[in-house]
Amino acid sequence: MSDERKLSYGQAFNEAVSQMMEADPDVFCAGEDIGAFGGVFGTFLGLQAKFGEHRVVDTPISEQAIVGLGVGASVTGLRPIVDLMFMDFICVALDQIVNQAAKLKYMFGGEASLPMTITTAGGGGLSAAAQHSQSLEALLCHMPGLKVVMPSNPYDMKGLMISCIKDNNPTVMIKHKRLLGMSAVVPTEAYEIPLGKGNILRPGTDVTIVAYARMANEALIAAAELAKEGIECEIIDPRTLQPLDTDLIVDSAQRTNRVVVVHEAVRFGGLGGEIASQIQELAFDYLDAPVTRIGAPFSPVPFSPALEQHYIPDAKTILAGVREIMQRNVIRG
Amino acid sequence: MTRTASIVGMIVNPNAGKDIRRLVTPATHTSDVTKVGIVRRAIVAAFESGASKVLLMPDNHRLAERASDRIKGDIEVLDMPLSGSRFDTIAAAHVFCQAQVGAVIALGGDGTSRDVAIGWPDAPLIAISTGTNNVFPSAIDGTSAGAAAAFVASGAVCLSVVARRSKKVVVKIDDRDKSLDDLALVDLAFINSMFVGARAVRDPHTVHAVISCVATPASTGLSSIAGRIHPVGRWETGGVFVRLGAGGRKVRVPLAPGSFTTMEIAEVRRLGEGEKISLSGKTVLAFDGERDLPVSAFGTVTAHIEATGPLLIDVEQTLVLAAQALMFDETARHISEGNHVY
Amino acid sequence: MEISTTKQFDLHRRMVRIRLFEEAAGRLAEANRLPGFLHLYVGEEAVASGVCGALNDDDHITSTHRGHGHLVAKGGDFNRMMAELMGKATGYCKGKGGSMHISDTSLGMLGANGIVGAGSPIAVGAAFANRYRGRGQVAVAFFGDGSTNIGAFHEAANMACALHLPIVFACENNEYGEFTPRHKTMAITDIVDRAAGYGMPGVIVDGMDVIAVHEAAVEAVERARQGGGPSLIEAKTYRYYNHHGIQNLGLKYRPDEEVATWKQRDPIFTFEDRMIENGVATREKVDEIWAELRQDIETAIQFADDSPYPTPDQIMVDVYTKSSTTIGTKS
Repeated sequence: MSDERKLSYGQAFNEAVSQMMEADPDVFCAGEDIGAFGGVFGTFLGLQAKFGEHRVVDTPISEQAIVGLGVGASVTGLRPIVDLMFMDFICVALDQIVNQAAKLKYMFGGEASLPMTITTAGGGGLSAAAQHSQSLEALLCHMPGLKVVMPSNPYDMKGLMISCIKDNNPTVMIKHKRLLGMSAVVPTEAYEIPLGKGNILRPGTDVTIVAYARMANEALIAAAELAKEGIECEIIDPRTLQPLDTDLIVDSAQRTNRVVVVHEAVRFGGLGGEIASQIQELAFDYLDAPVTRIGAPFSPVPFSPALEQHYIPDAKTILAGVREIMQRNVIRG
Repeated sequence: MTRTASIVGMIVNPNAGKDIRRLVTPATHTSDVTKVGIVRRAIVAAFESGASKVLLMPDNHRLAERASDRIKGDIEVLDMPLSGSRFDTIAAAHVFCQAQVGAVIALGGDGTSRDVAIGWPDAPLIAISTGTNNVFPSAIDGTSAGAAAAFVASGAVCLSVVARRSKKVVVKIDDRDKSLDDLALVDLAFINSMFVGARAVRDPHTVHAVISCVATPASTGLSSIAGRIHPVGRWETGGVFVRLGAGGRKVRVPLAPGSFTTMEIAEVRRLGEGEKISLSGKTVLAFDGERDLPVSAFGTVTAHIEATGPLLIDVEQTLVLAAQALMFDETARHISEGNHVY
Repeated sequence: MEISTTKQFDLHRRMVRIRLFEEAAGRLAEANRLPGFLHLYVGEEAVASGVCGALNDDDHITSTHRGHGHLVAKGGDFNRMMAELMGKATGYCKGKGGSMHISDTSLGMLGANGIVGAGSPIAVGAAFANRYRGRGQVAVAFFGDGSTNIGAFHEAANMACALHLPIVFACENNEYGEFTPRHKTMAITDIVDRAAGYGMPGVIVDGMDVIAVHEAAVEAVERARQGGGPSLIEAKTYRYYNHHGIQNLGLKYRPDEEVATWKQRDPIFTFEDRMIENGVATREKVDEIWAELRQDIETAIQFADDSPYPTPDQIMVDVYTKSSTTIGTKS
């Protein structure tokens, strides 16, 4: 039966785009190599054949103009999906993202809306080195006006991507490169996962792990291992990083009293700092230990697999982090 | 006339080849880089062929400086105030005349040659087309032009043998508060318009009358009207007057490059040398294809054609004569020493 | 193409509106009555007026940080403009944009822009949307000579040409990028020399002559509307006042004679002279127009003065749009 149908993370993205393009003639896609080639990760495969060159547009390698195309087309009434191939390339387009897309509505006194989705692929693990492996979500989350989404599985991908397209704000959908082949049951019909709503991936009582994108999956592996030791982890996947589901995180922290935040991005100045800060502001009295942050060291992403495997956090790193936080025994007065 | 030096003067109109006609017709855009290249080739060829000095008109685009950069030789960019307009060309041509320049190379369209002729009526001229409707100037490469100019300037090839006196439309305008003299080298047109605007004459319905001294079927622009019904060659005497209007022949003409339109001819009349024609009333005068001067309802414009235009140098003939005189041989390199032929 | 009397008065009115608005804004700034930066368009009126006079109401424009003129020329409302410059709640942007972000999307004016060159990619997007919808609208990107040295311009020009979009690139070449003369920042003199590099025609017009600008704009807009693709118009123009404000910091970066020479070719006064000479207007009629529009300015200043400032609770309003589309999924 169709409910049992499985799709990969990349196919779930593709189906979300395809279904929204079918439903809404104002939706179109533009980006480098997304047409006949289907995108460098194949996430746009078959869309041009289905919807034509005018709705799935191959662009020059011009990131500023690609995002500008989205800004101009959305502010004049269309619903663009513009693709930036690798997340690292947002840096090339940062003016259009930060100074234009994020701010136009506000600067125009509300007299504009920009229903555009920027899609891109982030994360390491492919030996793609320092300019094709970054996780720059913290940069984007710092910009009022943007919404930032990082799904951890195929089901979330489809529902979140549909929500991104339907949202009347500039949203950034960050696909994780290492999750593209991940397969799971995905409903055939179009459905939405509301932006700003996190998900309890695994309920638990002893410690909260806040993790998103690929790290949520690593956390699941670690949690299974820790369960054998009698440690029950609650895994919160915020799914949307801006706006952040702080309530869900804080509520979990208040129940488990211990929190580990995990991301693939560099630890210093990463989103973990913001999450930890929110927790200490809103749940300080519930904490049995300082919030632990797990992230990449403060270096560019290295190339060699021999280095990169030690650079990116994984289940083992998370395991160690959780064990450490569990060792802190707090006597409550 | 004795010459103390073999000076070649060069004028490059920075504004030529960039007007509105690129938008409405397939006219060529001539970039500054293209112009600099032509002038640079001309300078090198001029020194190669015996010029002792090259004088250049300065311009707001610094084309002269860029064209002469790092070329060895006596090169002088005139020290003159710049207006950024056609008056720079007029002024430079005048200075060239005073400086006893032996040959002038001018890059531009019909309008640029016209300005040279205003500044120096008897200019020995090689006119290179980098404009839009190029009836007066021709497509000549700088390498050939520079060489020919130097041979003429040095006297190695005699100017009177290789140059011919071109014609011009002599124009007198009497208006309420002014009386002006002006000229055109190809055509003077009376345009029913209120404005100079984007200058180029584009709307066929606004063309009232055209006086052409050169009008051949190979022309583009206003002179092509007469050119296609009553051709008058560059070296024939006199010209032709055409008045547009209903009732006569309907002729297809390229009013701009690659752009054809039907013109209705009310009157065509051959004009003899010196034969005056006078029109009164409100109009905008277009000189060599560009709207330039509004005339009020009280104004009268009188024009005639005479053979007092610049001395147009035949580049190919000059080079043929130079070849016949073995001037390209290694042993004949010091031709500026007074080794005249012909 | 002969320009009708009605159109002549229309172009004239657009220019006079800009001049009066900018002169008034300049005076207010000198009197410390306007917060923030102010980049005045005085001297360049023929460009915005000549181009916008060739556009329909539903065509789009993107603007520069010197953007008041573009909004006025597109039909902007004095009251809301002046209120915005003063940072009032009744302003076009409810006091959140100010001079550098003034906009009216209902007029197709997609904003002045504080980032040099950033408007052009947005205009490309508007042009894309216009062709996508197939309603024959075009987009115009206004930009300065200085912005052609920034990557965004090149990306936009190339993409517009690659996608053959209905767009006009309208360059206001006022010879200075802020305080630095053009010749120090580029090795070319004419911005149109860049056009061929993207595969589009480029033409130069006298930016002090509204008719010259308008003639070219009509052709370029029509070309775009008919599917002929992008083109570039370079209007040679000049700003009378400093990069920002009237006297700016009092810094000297261009000779007084240069300013005086350009002022002799004032786009409004020379045009009025021609209109009178042609019998289209009389001096009395022209004076009447100025007087009428001056009154509008006084009204606008009064409106802005009388308007309230936005309250602090407005800071968090309009950061995001609350809604999303209902198309495509069951909600």
